[in-house]
Amino acid sequence: MDAVLEIDLPNRCAVVQPGLINLWLTTAVSDRGYFFAPDPSSQMVSSIGGNVSTNAGGPHCLKYGVTTNHVLGLEMVTGAGELVRIGGKAAERPGYDLTGTVVGSEGTFGLVTAITVRLLHTPEAVKTALATFASMTEASEAVSEIIASGIVPAALEMLDAAIISAINASIGKIYPDAADAVLLIELDGPRAEVEAQAERVATICRRHGAVSVTVAADEMERALLWKGRKEAAGAVGRLTSSYLLQDAVVPRSKLPQIMREMKAIAARHRVVIANVFHAGDGNLHPLICYDDRSAEELERAKQANEELLGACIALGGSVTGEHGVGLDKAKNLPLQYGEADLNFMFRLRRVFDPAGLMNPDKLLPSHPACGEGFRPKRPVLPAGAWI
Amino acid sequence: MAVSAASVAGVFAERLGPERLVVDPGALSAAAIDGHTPRWLVRPASIDHVAAVLAVAWDENLAVVPRGAGTALGLGPPPSRVDVLLDLTALDHVLEDNPDDLTVSVEAGITAGGLAERLAGRRQWLPVDPPGWRRRTLGGMTATNAAGPLRARYGTLRDLVLGVRFVQADGVVTWGGARVVKSVTGYDIPKLMVGALGTLGVVCELTLRLHPMPDAEQTWLATFTSVEAAQAFVARVVDSSLQPTRLELLNEAALRVCHAPSAPFGVAVAIGSAHPAVREQGERLAALGSSEGVRIAAVGDNVWTHYDTALAPAEGEVVLRIGSLPSRLADTVKVIERALPAAERAALITGCAALGTLRVAITGADPDTVRRLVEDLRALTGEFGGAVVIESAPTAVRTGLDPWGPVEPATLNLMRAIKQEFDSRGVLNPGRFVGGL
Ligand SMILES: Cc1cc2nc3c(=O)[nH]c(=O)nc-3n(C[C@H](O)[C@H](O)[C@H](O)COP(=O)(O)OP(=O)(O)OC[C@H]3O[C@@H](n4cnc5c(N)ncnc54)[C@H](O)[C@@H]3O)c2cc1C
Repeated sequence: MDAVLEIDLPNRCAVVQPGLINLWLTTAVSDRGYFFAPDPSSQMVSSIGGNVSTNAGGPHCLKYGVTTNHVLGLEMVTGAGELVRIGGKAAERPGYDLTGTVVGSEGTFGLVTAITVRLLHTPEAVKTALATFASMTEASEAVSEIIASGIVPAALEMLDAAIISAINASIGKIYPDAADAVLLIELDGPRAEVEAQAERVATICRRHGAVSVTVAADEMERALLWKGRKEAAGAVGRLTSSYLLQDAVVPRSKLPQIMREMKAIAARHRVVIANVFHAGDGNLHPLICYDDRSAEELERAKQANEELLGACIALGGSVTGEHGVGLDKAKNLPLQYGEADLNFMFRLRRVFDPAGLMNPDKLLPSHPACGEGFRPKRPVLPAGAWI
Repeated sequence: MAVSAASVAGVFAERLGPERLVVDPGALSAAAIDGHTPRWLVRPASIDHVAAVLAVAWDENLAVVPRGAGTALGLGPPPSRVDVLLDLTALDHVLEDNPDDLTVSVEAGITAGGLAERLAGRRQWLPVDPPGWRRRTLGGMTATNAAGPLRARYGTLRDLVLGVRFVQADGVVTWGGARVVKSVTGYDIPKLMVGALGTLGVVCELTLRLHPMPDAEQTWLATFTSVEAAQAFVARVVDSSLQPTRLELLNEAALRVCHAPSAPFGVAVAIGSAHPAVREQGERLAALGSSEGVRIAAVGDNVWTHYDTALAPAEGEVVLRIGSLPSRLADTVKVIERALPAAERAALITGCAALGTLRVAITGADPDTVRRLVEDLRALTGEFGGAVVIESAPTAVRTGLDPWGPVEPATLNLMRAIKQEFDSRGVLNPGRFVGGL
């Protein structure tokens, strides 16, 4: 099911089947000046159905929003076997926002069979810059200030020393070796706006100790800067035989703090944690490296992972920013949600899939609140005069 | 087992404090909704108060209507029952303010104007501007997903609500979403609550994403003799490198109340950005206009102030929200013009032209005319899956005509199943939502 069913440029939308590869949609409309905004790093291989089900993000969702902000309507077969059409091209539809409710439900509500997505006009100008820093803390502070200053870059990605050397070793020297952290900053929009913002961003980076700020001179240089970023996860194979990839989020202003805590956690558990992540929205992607031949090392990596998650939640963050809960993180939901919250989600799922057929063990934990017969706490009313 | 009215009042008074309970018959009848006089009016000051009230209502099968500023109580059919009117305006605090993260958590009874005051001076805003927004509460705006011209750039509250704390029909306090700008942990409960008209829970707290305010914003007005020409121009703007913050269609009457230059139709284009970028985009807009033979002139920002005042909800008027398409705007406007007799041509037609949404406000229309208009519009928008919702109208108009319009049976069944799961007793806003939910 990988067809483009309709391209409707006057209304800036398209209808596609779920198996269509993300990038193919942009390819189909780019010559007419349009693109599909969600751009997970997996966009060459991941499907739009998968993007919808995980509410995928990507480097450019800082400015453009995640998948849910670009889905106008869905056709789906619910777990109960009903074919339903929800949402559509026109805005202002009456009733519950089922489209928004289904996006991100990881296939637990049913099978999505067609998707109406919004298309955006390709921005006029793009400027990509690389700022290098002598410390992660300085780079994190620069991120905080860029965001607080009112600039919304199209993308704001951070890479640490471990990732930089892995990329330089496996792909070729793309980033300065000596840097402890680099920020990949992309601005897009009307040319004059991009120019004005680029200057301010450079000033902020320098104020926070940037060793160098360089702007890609042409499309080739720009592609090279992104190549490193996009192939980062693969390059880590140089560092380690295996890694745990995390996807937690912290409020953006807490980046310097979580970076310090991460260092301490890595030291405590004697693991290398490499970082390449969506700094602009506080979405971390620590790669916790371990040797898969050592059960003991895996155990330490797992402990570091859980501790790091706890630290992110304690700072007001979230367990997963874009990769989804799946099987592995279901157990972590109680970090973020109470019993009543989990129970509400369980009951919502049961409406769509009463028999529990769809991805049964995904998303919700096995927890009493996610089972039949659980009663969340209600206010206690006075007895006596009352009843 | 039903208990006496006196003991319900007793529990409310004991839980909330007697000063938070209104039982005076005069005050109650003044608060009537579509002719239903509530038996109790309560003003909770905390989410725990709301939970206590709903727990009582659930046990006693009482119908509860939440109320913010009361500007959108005319949305949907009249309620089937009203026992408790839940006035949420005392829940008006800012709970957590994170300027550096561009997020804020507030109680749902705070007005959009109140929040704007809090944010003033730091060049951040919640860019949601349904007419009369300053008076509206954020809870009410969330329940109705109300939006204004800024949706062209910023979307609606659907895109801005990150987290919600609400009380379920049976009094259970529940949280959904996150406090950070990006999260896919668990289901997207905020989406379910935005636009649900409080029928699945009473929203008491919201965590919102803020946007930086552009350094400058300037508005230009393009004028047209026909709506087709206006539609074609909008298509050109959308298909260009311009990035307007607002792209609003206005008919002659709407231009008049906005104190804008007179013309059969106008398209107001606002550009918000850094100063040089605003200037440059303005020049491009002018160039686009002259290449298309369109008259374009800069207008003052007070056009939006007038827009906001003149289109704010008013007693007795009929307001329709129309989900059309950018490519069908002209057709839609023509249907409106045909259905309204000359005497009612004072209808104010506005809308986000970039998205194809329209709003029609008519004063003093007779119910038959409104019925015909709505039917004709539904016939048109039905062709492409659009919708026509009566946003407000006198009770008589809303009883003879389904204000929400049709929803596909399978889709409605799913909505009904959700309502049944979370409010099987019909405590929350009974009868006011789609399909009589
Ligand atoms: C190298 C790499 C980089 C990545 N980068 C990013 C990134 O930058 N941002 C990001 O958000 N994610 C990223 N991901 C994660 C993943 O690629 C995305 O989340 C993507 O959206 C998954 O799409 P898929 O087609 O592979 O779905 P699958 O993995 O096949 O499925 C994902 C989930 O959705 C369900 N599902 C799939 N199709 C349907 C359907 N039609 N109806 C109902 N349920 C369905 C599946 O059961 C499963 O639970 C990355 C992954 C890799 C391997």
